[in-house]
Amino acid sequence: MKRKKIILYVFLSLLVIAGAVGFYFYKEYNRTHKDTAKLKPDYTVTATGLLKEFETNEQTSNKKYWDKVLSVEGMVKEVTKDDRGFYAVILGDTAAMSSVRCSIDSAHSNEAVTVSRGLTVTVKGICSGYNADEMLGSDIILVRSVIDKK
Amino acid sequence: MNMKNNFLLAATLLFLATTGFAQKFYTKSGKIDFDATSASSPEKIEGVNRTATCVVDTKTGAIQFAVLMKGFAFERALMEEHFNENYVESHKFPKAEFKGTITNNETVNYSKDGTYSVTVKGKLTMHGETKDVETQGKLVIQGGKVNANASFNVLLSDFKIAIPGLVADKVSKTAKIIVSCSLEPLKS
Repeated sequence: MKRKKIILYVFLSLLVIAGAVGFYFYKEYNRTHKDTAKLKPDYTVTATGLLKEFETNEQTSNKKYWDKVLSVEGMVKEVTKDDRGFYAVILGDTAAMSSVRCSIDSAHSNEAVTVSRGLTVTVKGICSGYNADEMLGSDIILVRSVIDKK
Repeated sequence: MNMKNNFLLAATLLFLATTGFAQKFYTKSGKIDFDATSASSPEKIEGVNRTATCVVDTKTGAIQFAVLMKGFAFERALMEEHFNENYVESHKFPKAEFKGTITNNETVNYSKDGTYSVTVKGKLTMHGETKDVETQGKLVIQGGKVNANASFNVLLSDFKIAIPGLVADKVSKTAKIIVSCSLEPLKS
């Protein structure tokens, strides 16, 4: 009798563990990206300051900023919309070639419509790195960006 | 950007202004799709990057692409993390680059609207490995802009990207790369 009870408890607890593990994997597998608007910035910087930092030392800056949430304040040089309706807000010094290019999260496209060249805005996005280019000007790329402040 | 480059740029712009025709076309918002869905997979293994840089030199036919690996977006966050951490190791190899030429560039009239079939040949560098790539593509010239489209397959093992046995039924051994860029004349 006692033995049967122990077996039952062991069986039940295994079932619970299996369920929990299964649930965890299911959740993890279906996990989507968090809305950047709800994320706290790891760093708060200005577009020109960030560009200077990457220009001075790309490797150290990469290590510091990769995959981090950045809140970048800067002057809007251009707002672009591609043929599929995806927006990008380009920040930086209008006289310089280099910029911080922020791909706007498609769920936040309506925010991109409200900004235009010459405005100073704060964009929050995930840093995916630096694309150095002598001829076209170097860029820092932010993905899944949202407009934080106007 | 130093003074010399600024001077060169100014000189180029002046040259362009006097000739009235851009020699180079470029974009910084090119789109590159990466699809490694295997035929038997129930889900799509695909990422998209909308921040590719592309430059075409109409005179020489030279064509270049550069893309940040971390800029590829996947629908599932876990898939994107695996792509970056386990497969392409983007922290070690942050960029993929293609440098090549349009081999039949003389058949393209960049100042006349139309659709031109082109052959592009060059070297693709990804995950620290460089391989020769040749593909057919299309250039559509319309109203002073150039649309460049091409798709080709790469063997992931050529770039030393290993697919673990566990996911071999989902992740294909070859990846299809689809490029679509809308290029503008390089000026101002």
